[in-house]
Order: sequence, then C-alpha cells, then structure tokens
Amino acid sequence: MTALELGAYALASLLYLGFLVGLRDKPGRLALTVAVLLHLGDIGARCVHGMNPISSTPEAMSFISFLLAAGYLLGSLRYGLASAGAFAAPAALALLLLARVVPAEAGAPAMGTLGYTHILLATVGVAVFFIAAVLAVVYLFQDRQLRRKEFARVTDRGTPLDTLDRLAARCVSLGFPIFTVAIVTGAMWIARLGVLHGAAALRPEYVLAVVTWIAFAVLLVARLGGGWRGRRAAWLTLGGFGGTVLVLVVYFLRHAA
Amino acid sequence: MAGKAPPTIDVVVLGVSHRTAPVALRERLSVVPDQMDATLRELKTLPGVREVALLSTCNRVEIYAVASDTDAALRALGADLARRAGMLDAEIEPHLYARTERDAVKHLFRVASSLDSLVVGEPQILGQVKTARDLAAKAETVGPVLATCFERAFRVARRVRRDTEIARNPVSVSSVAVELAHNVFGDFHGKSVLVVGAGKMSDLAARALRSRGAALTVTNRTRARAEELAAAVQADVADFADLADALGRADIVIASTGAQHPVLTRELLARVQRARRGRSLFLIDIAVPRDVEPSVTELEGVYVADIDDLQKEAAKHLAGRRSEAVQAESIVEEEVTRFLQTVGGRQLAPTVTAMRTHFIGLAHGEAEKFLAGLAHLSEKDRNAIVAFADALAKKLLHLPQLALKKDAGEAVSLVAAVRALFDLQGADPLPEGEQGEAVAETAGVEGREEPS
Repeated sequence: MTALELGAYALASLLYLGFLVGLRDKPGRLALTVAVLLHLGDIGARCVHGMNPISSTPEAMSFISFLLAAGYLLGSLRYGLASAGAFAAPAALALLLLARVVPAEAGAPAMGTLGYTHILLATVGVAVFFIAAVLAVVYLFQDRQLRRKEFARVTDRGTPLDTLDRLAARCVSLGFPIFTVAIVTGAMWIARLGVLHGAAALRPEYVLAVVTWIAFAVLLVARLGGGWRGRRAAWLTLGGFGGTVLVLVVYFLRHAA
Repeated sequence: MAGKAPPTIDVVVLGVSHRTAPVALRERLSVVPDQMDATLRELKTLPGVREVALLSTCNRVEIYAVASDTDAALRALGADLARRAGMLDAEIEPHLYARTERDAVKHLFRVASSLDSLVVGEPQILGQVKTARDLAAKAETVGPVLATCFERAFRVARRVRRDTEIARNPVSVSSVAVELAHNVFGDFHGKSVLVVGAGKMSDLAARALRSRGAALTVTNRTRARAEELAAAVQADVADFADLADALGRADIVIASTGAQHPVLTRELLARVQRARRGRSLFLIDIAVPRDVEPSVTELEGVYVADIDDLQKEAAKHLAGRRSEAVQAESIVEEEVTRFLQTVGGRQLAPTVTAMRTHFIGLAHGEAEKFLAGLAHLSEKDRNAIVAFADALAKKLLHLPQLALKKDAGEAVSLVAAVRALFDLQGADPLPEGEQGEAVAETAGVEGREEPS
C-alpha cells in the first residue's frame, strides 16, 4: 500500500514538474487523484488498526500530506492551479516519505480530549497553511516572471496572480481560527500536564508557536484592514508557514530524542 | 435534378488572393453582399458552369464552381473576372489561380481551415466561407455537389481547430494585450480599464477588454478626442488633470498618447500605488515613444507590457501557428482523400444501376424492333430471342461492373468515364435526401459558431 501510494505521488510530482516544461496538466492531475485515493484508503486501514491520524507524529504527518494533496486537488479542479501542482505534489510526497521513515514515538503522553483536539486542529491548520504557502510560492515566482517580462511562461503555464492571491488569503483566513483554537487548547493541555506531572518549563517551541500565531494575525489584519496583498502578503504567508514548520520540527525532535 | 448529369467531382476554383494580387485588384473584384445574388445568377449562366458560389473577403475573391466542361468553365469565369476588373484577359491572368477536382476540394478545405489566410489560424474565415455558401444557397446557384463540398469543408475546419493548436494563441497586438492582462487578473468582470490617449490601437484593446466584462474610462489631453472615443466604445470620460485619481481607480491602463516624454512616471505611479493599497496594476503601453517609465516595474504590484513585448509575444504565437499548420495540412490531406472516397462510393451505385438500365433497355428495344418483322415466330421463339438479348446485355455488363466496383473509393475516374461514355442521365450521384440533411446539419451548427 505504502509503496503504491508513494509511487503514485512520485509519478504525480514528475508529471506536474513536466507540466512546467510542456506536458499537459491532465496526466498529473490523474496521477495525483489516484495517489490521494490510495492515501485515503491507507489512512482508513490504519484507523482500523488503531493508528488514527493523531495517534502519533508519523500518522499526523501522513494526514497533513493527505490534506495538502486533497485540498490542492479540489482547488485545482475549479481554479486551474496546474503550476502549483509542481510544488504541492512533491511537498505531499516528501511529507509522506518522511512520515513513513520517522518511527512512531513510544509512550506518547496520555492525551485526553484536550490533547486530541489540540493535535487534530494543529494538524489541519498546518495543512491549510501549507496550501497557502504553496500558492504564495507560485505567486512570487509568477510575479517575478511578469516583472521580468517573461510573459509567455505565465500565459502558458501559470494561474492569474489575482486568483492565487485570493485563494491564499482564503486559506489563511480559514486556517487562522483553526490554528488559534489549536494554540489555546495546546496551552490548556500543557497547563493540565503541568498540574499532573509537576511544573512544565517554558519551552522555545511554545514561544515560537505564539510568534507564528502573531505573524498570521498581522497578515490577516493587514490584508483586511491595510489592503496588504500580493508580494508582501505572499512573503508574510511564507514567514508564518516557516514558523509553523519550525515549531513542528522542534516538537518532533524533542519527542524523538 | 433530373435531366442533368453531374459526372464526378468536377469542382473548379478560380480566384485571386493576398498571395497573388495586390489589394487594388482584389477590391475591384470584390462583391458586396447586396450584389451577390445577381452576380451569382449571372455566373451560373456562363458556359460549362453548373453550380457556383463566390467567396469575397478582403483577402480573397474566389469562384467555386461545378463544371460540366472544366476548360470552358474556367475560360468563361476568367473572362468574367477580367471584365469586372476592367482588364484584358492577359492582364489578369498572372494574378489568377485555378484549381480543379482534387486540388479544388483541397483548396476549399485549406481556405475554410484558415491555412491559406494571411494570418494563419484567424477565426473569421470560416464564418466568411459559410456566408458565401448561404448567399449562394439563397441565389439557388449551389447544387448537391458544391453543397456537399462546403459542408465537408466546415467539418474539416472544425476538426483542424479542435485537433491542432493553430488558433490557440492570439496574434494581434490588441488580443495579446488582453491575454497578458489576463495573467494578472484572470477575470475582467468588475475590473476598470483606463485608456490614456485616444488612438486606434487603444480602441481595439479597450473593446476587447470591455467585451470580457471590464468597465472603461477614457482620458485625453484634448477632452473632445476623449469624448469621441468614449462614445465609440461606451466609456466614461475622465479629466486629464485628474489622471492620478483615475489611475487610482483603474486596474488596467492602456496608454497611447503622443507625448514625447513618459506620462506615467515612476513618481506618479508610486503615489498612486500607495493610494491603491497595493492592488495590482497592469500597464499596456502601446505608445512610441513610450508613455510608461520602464522602472515602474520595481513598484509593488505594477506590471508593464510595452509595444515591443506585445509584438514579441505576437510573433512567437505566429511562429507557433506555423508549426501547427504543418499538422493541419496533413489533416486536410487526409480529409480530402476520405471525402473523395465517400463521393466516389456514393456515385457508384446509381451509376451501375443507370448503366444496367441503359444496356438492358437497349437490348430489349432492339429485340422488339427485330421481332416486329418476324411475326411468324411462335411465342416460345420470340421469348427465346428476348432472353438472348437480355443475356447478351448482362454478359457484356459483367466485366465493366466488376471493374467499377473495384474502383469504388479509389478514384472517381472510371465512374466518370462510364457516365461520359454512355451519356447516362437522370441518376444523380448525390441523392437529394442526403443533400437536404447535410445542409440542415451545418445550418444548425452555424448559429453556435458564427462570430457575433
């Protein structure tokens, strides 16, 4: 199952990269659809065996990869985001590959409802920000091409800038409330654990998580109130997403250690 | 159609085009729709001409005809063109091209598919060929053969457009401008276009954008000119003094002033862009010297395409079309062969029937004549003689019939020869029922395809 899934994602990645240099977009979309369906089946099968998406770090990573690919696929049906596929498909592949390599942590702390809620929301939030980040990357590439007057590349292979900007904004405003609740439940969960197991130290990832949250909050306010958009918004989206990834990396490293 | 005997695909085309004749000659030959009816009826009375249609566009004037006598028809049509051009036959001769049979069909297919156009792949020609067919149908100068050729030409043209990318990318500067703006905005509904300066080019681009849903505003140093253009393209007018304000409201700017120095300076646009809060601004600069200071692309959200960019894109697309045309040519070649096979097949059955009827009729007729002088013979003997005549006719028909059937689909030459040799009458190669359907089919499709 895993091999098939990875194979399908790899094929989709190649085909979408091929799209950038002249292939049609249909084969890539088809391969990615197959990959997503296989992945969904795999997640279902693992749930049956007690390995649900939030039971461990690797499962959560696999779930993010699935959400990223599925979310991208849905968006591309409506908005023709073929060039973004060259980023989304490889990202999903890399994440899934990582998920299959990383060992599940032994003896995860007893989570309770609070813990489950926190991890589930954080997972979904990261996936949504991931999509926003992919769109932002494509935006920045195309913005540069248009300013350099490489018009044909955008015309043949690109997505209108406004569409990318609008979709990225929508992802951030969708991801933000999810991420907010994830942070709050996370904080409550830590406090609870602290009560149970003695004082919890203020770890760097907690600070980082809050900084990331602030970055996204600024982005939202700037977009809504200050009319920020386009290039600056894209960079801030990438910054926020970078922070999110960093939080996760620190978290994983600590638990792997 | 009884009484006429269209032998084969004796289609001819005679005409002038942008390849062979200067515009001065083409415009003398062109026929306006009002005169088309009379002209067609006149052409049909020429010797050797059985069906006729006339295609008259700014790039070509071509007569498509079905000829009972190819040489006579071409001579008569050539003389007629010379007369209308006010030239001697010998003077117009070098500008004319004539194609017959297979080549004529192929020419029609190529023209309809826009392979013979000045701008290869341009979409108008198909509509123009359809109009030519319709006008000829109205004048009742097309018969079954031409109608079938035209109907097939439309189908081939649609296939070429579907199976190749010959018409995919725009090649005119104004449509390229629209295409590039699409890279930024995607959808033009609710977008505002500001036209700065009132030139012909900006007119075309503005119209194209408006037809895609954008709202137009025109501004010009001389307000009267702005109002003129605004009236023509249904736009608002903004005062030139309020340029900065107008820019603040615009998403796309088409600049074509005659100013010697950039009107849209970096300083002005930086101010505007601050007020616009970073909304994207696409500047289409078709003025020479340029209206937009090149360094404005460094500003956030500002994109510029100048006349060089537009022409470069257009040239690239044109080159792309030429390479697609190679594929299109092979489609046309294939379709011509297939079409002639179909026509050949359709002509075979009635020809064989007509030939049999002809021979057996002759045999019986001769037997009757012969028997008239032999009244003393018994009924049995008389029957034997009739049977002999009948059997002889059928034996004689056997080999030609086999040869014709083998020939079916290959070429129409034998069928034509048989028809000519025996002067077979009354069996139309294209039954009327099928003809009616074919016309009805294209008429139905037309409503969807005709450019508005």
